[in-house]
Amino acid sequence: MKNRVREQRTQRGLSQAEIAAALGVSRQTVISIESGRYLPSLPLAFRIARFFDLTVDKMFDPGGEEDLA
Amino acid sequence: MTTFIRPRLRVPALYVLTGAALAAAFVAHGGGIWYGSIATGIGFGARAIRAYVTGGRDSDEGALAGSRADERLALLRTRSRALAGIAAAVAAFIGLTAGIAVRAAWWWPFALILAIALMAYLFGWSQYGIGATDPADDEAGVTQPAQSPAT
Repeated sequence: MKNRVREQRTQRGLSQAEIAAALGVSRQTVISIESGRYLPSLPLAFRIARFFDLTVDKMFDPGGEEDLA
Repeated sequence: MTTFIRPRLRVPALYVLTGAALAAAFVAHGGGIWYGSIATGIGFGARAIRAYVTGGRDSDEGALAGSRADERLALLRTRSRALAGIAAAVAAFIGLTAGIAVRAAWWWPFALILAIALMAYLFGWSQYGIGATDPADDEAGVTQPAQSPAT
């Protein structure tokens, strides 16, 4: 599953540690989510989407093939 | 159970407690292995100090040692514990079958461990809600669709 966490984070000039602190997870978890190694739970996915003022379906692409834009 | 202890001290405290229990067992045993209590105390004490130091680091190991695991680490820890449980049950089963085969007197601890593992497994199923027989919506007469948290 693809996601736009890294893209949104870099657009806002935020560090992984800042996102981690805001979401209440570890920096390693943010790294794992960005790289696609870890799929966040639904509550965390909502927190991530809300943090970036996006909807969950804009933030995460279940197919991984569709255009996210 | 350990919420009254500061998170960073929980894992070190666990090492201290388990080390103290094992050291006490060596002392209670007496005889020629009493010095095992000293080695145990040093070993577990070192582990406790290491856990405290590691608990302050910004890493997965630090988060686990500092009792501040997030959902990803909690999931990994659960999987790891499950694997450890399976390994312990398999080892106990092998020990039990070997003990029976050679007509040894030491078969029963393996049977006890296996029985405890089985009971814990069944308790887990019941504790986490598996097996609950909730009726389907149409059987319960529910006409309204369930609300999604997204709406």
